Amino acid sequence: MENENNKKASLRGYIFAILSVVLLGLSAWVIWDDEFGLRPWKNYQQEYKSLKRDKLEKEYQQALIDFKTSGDAKKLADLEQQLKQAQDNFKKKEVHERYLQVTARLNDLKRKVDENQKAMQMVRGQYLEVEYYFTKGQKPADKVRMDALQKQIDSIDKASKAFQAQLAPLQQEQLTLMGDIPAIEAQIEALKKPLAEKKERIANNESAPIEIRQRMINDANKADRCESCHAGIEDTRQVTTKHPYSKHPLSFVYLGNHDPSKFGCTFCHRGQGRATTTIEKAHGNVHYWEEPLLKGGMTQTSCLNCHGDIKNLRGAEHINQSTELIRKYGCYSCHKIPGYEGMGDVGPELTRVGTKVNYSWAVNWLKDPKKYSSTARMPKFFFTQEQAESVADYLFSMSGTTRHDVDYMSETPDEKLVEQGKVLWSQARCNLCHVTSGRGGNHVKMYAPELSKVGGKVNKTWLFNWIKNPNEYYPGTRMPQFTFTDQEIKGLVEYMVSEFTDDEAEMNYTTPQPINAASIKKGKDIIQQYGCYGCHKIEGMEMVQVAPSLKAQGVTFLKNDEMREKIGTELTSIGSKPVEMLDFGKMKKNITNDRMSYLKQKLRDPRSFRLGLRMPNFRLSEKEVNELAGVLYGFTDANVPTRFLVPSKAEIDKMANVAPYQFTGDFAKVVKTVKCTNCHSIKGIGADYAPDLTFAGSKLQESWMRGFLANPDVIRPLLQQMPNLGLKSASVKTKITMPRFNLNKQIVQDTNKSDVDVVVNYFQQELLSPDIPKTIPVVSDIGMEQQLAAGKQLYEQKGCIVCHQIGADGGAIGPNLSNVGNRLNPGFIFVHLENPRKFKPDIVEPRYGFTERERILLTNYLMTLKLTNSDANKK
Amino acid sequence: MNELFDKVKKNLIWKSVFRRDYRNTVRDRALAIFGNVFLHLHPVKVRESAVKLRYTWGMGGITFFAFIILTITGIVLMFYYHPTVNLAYEDMKDLEFQVPYGVISRNLHRWAAHFMVIVVMIHMFRVFMTGSYKAPRQFNWGIGVILLVLTFLLSFTGYLLPWDQLGFWAITVGTNMGAATPLLGYQGPFSEYLHITPYNDVRFALLGGATVAGNALLRSYIWHCIAIPVIALILMVVHFWRVRKDGGISRPQSN
Repeated sequence: MENENNKKASLRGYIFAILSVVLLGLSAWVIWDDEFGLRPWKNYQQEYKSLKRDKLEKEYQQALIDFKTSGDAKKLADLEQQLKQAQDNFKKKEVHERYLQVTARLNDLKRKVDENQKAMQMVRGQYLEVEYYFTKGQKPADKVRMDALQKQIDSIDKASKAFQAQLAPLQQEQLTLMGDIPAIEAQIEALKKPLAEKKERIANNESAPIEIRQRMINDANKADRCESCHAGIEDTRQVTTKHPYSKHPLSFVYLGNHDPSKFGCTFCHRGQGRATTTIEKAHGNVHYWEEPLLKGGMTQTSCLNCHGDIKNLRGAEHINQSTELIRKYGCYSCHKIPGYEGMGDVGPELTRVGTKVNYSWAVNWLKDPKKYSSTARMPKFFFTQEQAESVADYLFSMSGTTRHDVDYMSETPDEKLVEQGKVLWSQARCNLCHVTSGRGGNHVKMYAPELSKVGGKVNKTWLFNWIKNPNEYYPGTRMPQFTFTDQEIKGLVEYMVSEFTDDEAEMNYTTPQPINAASIKKGKDIIQQYGCYGCHKIEGMEMVQVAPSLKAQGVTFLKNDEMREKIGTELTSIGSKPVEMLDFGKMKKNITNDRMSYLKQKLRDPRSFRLGLRMPNFRLSEKEVNELAGVLYGFTDANVPTRFLVPSKAEIDKMANVAPYQFTGDFAKVVKTVKCTNCHSIKGIGADYAPDLTFAGSKLQESWMRGFLANPDVIRPLLQQMPNLGLKSASVKTKITMPRFNLNKQIVQDTNKSDVDVVVNYFQQELLSPDIPKTIPVVSDIGMEQQLAAGKQLYEQKGCIVCHQIGADGGAIGPNLSNVGNRLNPGFIFVHLENPRKFKPDIVEPRYGFTERERILLTNYLMTLKLTNSDANKK
Repeated sequence: MNELFDKVKKNLIWKSVFRRDYRNTVRDRALAIFGNVFLHLHPVKVRESAVKLRYTWGMGGITFFAFIILTITGIVLMFYYHPTVNLAYEDMKDLEFQVPYGVISRNLHRWAAHFMVIVVMIHMFRVFMTGSYKAPRQFNWGIGVILLVLTFLLSFTGYLLPWDQLGFWAITVGTNMGAATPLLGYQGPFSEYLHITPYNDVRFALLGGATVAGNALLRSYIWHCIAIPVIALILMVVHFWRVRKDGGISRPQSN
């Protein structure tokens, strides 16, 4: 029994001992792990430090070599020699003794000044005390004391001044005794400074602590510790391109405008800013972190968080380009997207479509628009033949027509008309917007329909009326009204129908057939279900556009856009929608379950998640999918502090109650018919395809404007020609027998002005800049001929010729300057040369930093560049 | 050496703390227990059969041990935690990534919490199987049941504190169950007779509002860190005291 107990005790002892050792080991491991295992950033910082040390050392060594070879070393030796001489001089017995005397006296004086000062403070204090009692009690005794103290103060002050007066000459003497020593020392210092600075940098790098580096953004509750590993991200000079030590790309734009101490990192890059233990955690690539890191160009999606207007935003080029896709495909037609309200319909009006197209074409188009044209923007709704016919039936019945096709393939075209039409087609530059057989369509953002097979689509009557006045059929169209005569239009129609034929077109209804009522009813249901009215104006669909909440209140008519009910999900904050609220459905196992993958899959194949989804397939390219998903990712309700927000100009105007700019008078009518803003931007309205005309009145000469508007010529290369819109100048007006009766009738009758008059007047009255002077300063010290020669010399010296063309020489990047003397006002050239980006921030032309004199010379030279009529004819 | 011992031990400071020499006599051993505020809850003498591990499993003691660990680590965690909606989850992240020994503190707290719940149930099971709830221990059984409930409540209130999705929904579900309580919950039967609405029922009392929000977090925090531990501690004292008064720890019946 005794023995057994002992045995048990010793067994317990062993177990206890082993457990103790295990516990000790565990404790040691906990300490080690907390110090190193969980803090890998220490290694990163160490490595960065040594990389930086290497670089700085190398620079220092190089500087040292440069110092020796550049003669600075010799200069230094000379200076040191001089210094030694000066010091020897100084050490001479009489000089040195005198210096010591002076110094002793100086010190003595300084001490006395100090003492005086202290005494002064003391007496002043006493004076204030007595003054207080005197003002309170008005006792004469106090007054007497005050006077006594005042006398004391005066005497101390006097003594002080006397000492001060003695100081200056002594100090002067001291300096004279020292001779050149201070000056030489200063020179030596200056010579050594660059090297010393380099050395200091090395020392600073050495003494930099290894520590958590975090950016606290208190009002947003963020602590971004990214810089603990990305140690060189804020450097202005690249230490190494090795990750994670390189500096921020384009840091002068991104970090320069967004001070990291105020913005941190994760506002733009997302990721898990607080995490420091592993790369995956820090970058947010872990299951329970919904905001993985955004890298590279994708980061620009974050610009949308704060910037209301990213159109000309430096550094937001990717995302700006991508947002165009929303306009292209009209996402806002079915989804609510902030900033895209009231954009207008993306598709053409369909109220009278039955008078326009062939029935068979319409059915095939509804089934698959891309089959007709590869550039078609309309998505595929996966309609069956029957469904497509129903929809077409509804649309045709609303237009008051039957199922009918018109086939021109069998007719022989009028050759003469075709020939006329062909000439007009190229003169009017239709190909600028419209693609035919793979040619043209340079103005990409117009999204004008492809016309390669238009002969199998529309009928001649409609086409004639359309070209004559597009606004009549579709008031919101972007197609300008060309001022062709009826005969010209006939030719154009004949040419288009015979040239752009569709060999594969089905023509099943060359003999019209009536439409059956049941099919119409079905078509209406389909249109309502898929919300075709989102993109197209369709007769009989006004009711469904009233929001249900309003319908409940008895509202049955459409007042304005606000009442429209969008058929799709609101996208205002899709980029921050919690992942668990996204319905992955059938795709749950096929794609990674994060927001970005969901968005991409939705764009790639919208109905793949489950049955019954209505979104059509846009057949986007993979590039478009990525770009669009990037934009959607930026639509967040991130809690951005208001101090970050940069409202767009429109928003600011709205807040300030400034009405947006509107064209006025006759010019507004011209813009409405000719659609100048399709290409030009005027005071922020319009596209950026052609030059901005906001200051055209100050920039351009009147005679040139008149000539150009009547007969546009090539100024800019890269196929950005202006179409010949047939604007009538005063001189040619008489030749044209057929004035425009529709919209311009009033202009002609009431004011007797031509279109050109109207445009030029408006430019000269409205589109002016106070910054552009009417005349430029004059250089008077040399004659005009010398000035011109000097200007020409400057033009050649500065390499203007690389981009600009004069005559036959020069590059094709900038505008041709052969006729610039007739085109531009000298004031504009003068101001433009000072800062080319002043009027157009994204211009390529560099800022040369010309002096005013140089600018005058150049302007004078450029103003001599004029083409005469005979030159123009030769061309 | 002895001189050194004498110097350390034979002075007022030593004596004021330890009072008497530890001589291995029955009387001194008993006095050591009596004289210690912590140990005096414990019986002075324990029968040999009472320390048999195979009978008691030591589960009560282990539960108390877990409670001590939870108290210590809990206090450490409280230094780094703000019971506010904005900061609570961020503080979790800081504990994970930046606070020295934050990970081990938080994990110890979590492990010990799970451990305590398991162990306390095993303890109850053992008490039941050995019939230790019978006279004269009925009262202590009652105390034990309350302590069990308090342990669960500690676990429940602690669940919300990280302010993550898991805790948020757990508390949403848990308090909605409260809303279905007869009479006291607005969804429960007969509540209409007491004029119970979502704004005065038991769920409202638990959450400090009608939804799981900042007030619910604060209430959870106070219950978890102060109120329940204090109540539990008092009841534990009673529990231990009653073990002693009811004839010591239960043990096999002597043959």
